[in-house]
Amino acid sequence: MKVLYGFEYRRGTSVIHKIDPRSKLAYVILFTALTVYFVNPLVLLLVLSSSFPIVLISRIANRWIQSIKGSLLFIAFIFIFNFIGIVWATGSIWGAVTSGISMSIRFIALISIFSVFFLTTSPEDLTQSMVQMRIPYDYALTFNMAMRFVPTLSREAQIIMDAQRSRGLEMEKGNLIQRIRNYIPVLIPLIISSFRRAELVADAMESRAFGASKKRSSLYILKMENRDTLFFAISVASFLLLLSLKLVLGIQ
Amino acid sequence: MILFEDVSYSYAPGRYALEHVNLSIGEAELVAILGENGAGKTTLVKHINGLLRPQIGKVTVYGIDTKTSTVAALARKVGLVFQNPDHQLFAETVEKELAFALVNFGMPLLGTSSGVDWAIKEFELNQYRERPPFLLSGGERKRLALASVLCYNPQILILDEPTTGQDSRQKSRLANLLKRLNREGKTVIVVTHDMEFVADFIPRVVMLSKGRVIAEGLAEEILTNRELLMSASLLPPQLAELSWDLTLKKPSIDLEQVISEASSLLGGSPR
Amino acid sequence: MPIIEVRALSYSYPDSTRPSIQDVNLTVDMGEFVLITGPSGCGKTTFCRCLNGLIPNSYGGTFNGNVIVDGLLTTEHQVFEIAQHVGLVFQNPENELFCTTVEREVAFGPENLALPRDEIRSRVEEALSVVGISQLLDKSPEELSGGEQQKVAIAALLAMKPRMLVLDEPTANLDPLSARSVLKILSSLNTESDVTIILVEHRLEMVAHMANRCVIFDDGKLVLSGEPSDVLYSDMVDRIGIGIPKAVQVAKRLALNSKFGKRPLSSLELADIIMLKGDKG
Repeated sequence: MKVLYGFEYRRGTSVIHKIDPRSKLAYVILFTALTVYFVNPLVLLLVLSSSFPIVLISRIANRWIQSIKGSLLFIAFIFIFNFIGIVWATGSIWGAVTSGISMSIRFIALISIFSVFFLTTSPEDLTQSMVQMRIPYDYALTFNMAMRFVPTLSREAQIIMDAQRSRGLEMEKGNLIQRIRNYIPVLIPLIISSFRRAELVADAMESRAFGASKKRSSLYILKMENRDTLFFAISVASFLLLLSLKLVLGIQ
Repeated sequence: MILFEDVSYSYAPGRYALEHVNLSIGEAELVAILGENGAGKTTLVKHINGLLRPQIGKVTVYGIDTKTSTVAALARKVGLVFQNPDHQLFAETVEKELAFALVNFGMPLLGTSSGVDWAIKEFELNQYRERPPFLLSGGERKRLALASVLCYNPQILILDEPTTGQDSRQKSRLANLLKRLNREGKTVIVVTHDMEFVADFIPRVVMLSKGRVIAEGLAEEILTNRELLMSASLLPPQLAELSWDLTLKKPSIDLEQVISEASSLLGGSPR
Repeated sequence: MPIIEVRALSYSYPDSTRPSIQDVNLTVDMGEFVLITGPSGCGKTTFCRCLNGLIPNSYGGTFNGNVIVDGLLTTEHQVFEIAQHVGLVFQNPENELFCTTVEREVAFGPENLALPRDEIRSRVEEALSVVGISQLLDKSPEELSGGEQQKVAIAALLAMKPRMLVLDEPTANLDPLSARSVLKILSSLNTESDVTIILVEHRLEMVAHMANRCVIFDDGKLVLSGEPSDVLYSDMVDRIGIGIPKAVQVAKRLALNSKFGKRPLSSLELADIIMLKGDKG
């Protein structure tokens, strides 16, 4: 569950926190595309490293590391299955290793890019940016709610685990299948609790006239400023630069 | 026998949730851990079944250092009932829910020593035996959560805020159950900020404030100590307030005593 | 002038055979402070939801009778319309607050009403000031205590400028000091800002003296209604199993009602009577 810490918005005063979500979203989209576009592990490393200066400037290193650490297990899985798959298909060990490395770096890059986005963007700013991009409010709000309740869910998961461990549940015991089954007493209360909560939050929202107007107003509007345009420009420029590696130099 | 020796614990660097806690709770005690929200009560009791281990100091339960034991091993002797029953209930039927801990501890499910049958009888759950727990009402779920911990017969029972959302009849029933379990030899620890419940039913109190134990002893004495309550940001129980308003020489949290004193102030005898 | 009229209200939830409330009749006048209490599961929460239209509009089920709030018949208006007349506060602030700052939280309601930005800002300021938490404007609800969170919830509803507030056990998850702080705000909202208050509460010792009417529910039915001193000193209330304030219990045992016609609701009132009578001997 710790991996979720790497995606929770925390208020901050850095420049990155203040940048318009639309610029940051552009960065995410462009660089996500790059991770899919390339297979060369070195280029993928470059794509990954694009997030490093952002992490440094926004001072989110602690939490960002959590997202990487938390996904290491998953990355190991990816590497192993990919390895087996490639060896099975082509018999080439070296090919399997390089492919596995590329896959892993790609995954880390994706995690990193999304992590820096969610760590520095408030759910409401994101919602507002979506609304200003003409996405219907209901969809934007769904996103908002999901983000807002991630910390609540992770907190609850921890409490539930404590409660079940207090009844003798040993999460680490048993073979792989047993360990997966050990999660049932944790997931079920979490899911049921989420459903209950959804109803209650819906009640609370309706009680504040949610749905009263087709077009609701907003206390804060997002306006693109110089730094937002600059960030956008840098993102596009780096994107094009990396893209040229393939188009001009033919690197895959 | 629970022993805290100079225990300190912090969740985040710089802020201590527990500081230099020294505490001993003996066999068959009935004690309340009292304090405002954030005083460290839940943190304290989580050390008793090993969910948390002290960063400084030592916690021993029945002579075993919690640092050397697993939560499961400690949980076998220490039953902890969490505040929100919905954080525990997950099984397909009430019966399976009750059996969960027994299965984990390798205890028998059937037969005369079965905790499941005992719990069903004790908590009047027979009509719900085959029903899913989440279809029960709020109060019933709370009882079920307690039942599912008691059914494996832990020697120490800890309840975290058991009175939230309960009406006065349910609180009386709970108090009677706790007193009976205590008479049968169990150590019962109630974590709460419900001053009335403690004043009415629990004889011994440990008072926490900002991570420290600031008082320990008889409820009758601690809950009538104005300065102590104020320093812990706790509201006094109603009878204590009444005692002070009546300027009784010996403030009390015992209803009969207050009535008797008030009656003599009136110059007559009570009905 | 009645601001709430409930006539022959009965309701069962969609998948339930038993009615949660049966044949409830209640009239509340503008400016009243009505205290509702009763044992667990007696229908109090269901009743609250009927007052702002969540029942039957969002919950469905079998609804009989009439509920008219501020002139609106709840079965003929949407919840978002009724919400501008009745503010409903729930038990657990964690499920009520969902924005990253207090300011945005309190602005959410007015934003839904598509009010202009200046209006929203002034409503937010006013609501926070009335509740006494202006200093929390920029804080994140997550870092607030339970009591502060409930105050934010109250402010968020006040920003809708409702004429009445319905609160369903708002102090259930709070420690006693926070509970008292929140309840005091309700009292001043009632006396100073003329907000009609319907409060479901177990902590009778803290609110009985604030209310001008006490209503008791038991098993889905409204069984008692009257002035708090009438209700709490009745014999019926002892049998129902609600938490009668200790001061009332003492006064009953001392027969203050039959001897002196006095029915104190709080510890101070009781002490005053005893000291006075005691002196007279």
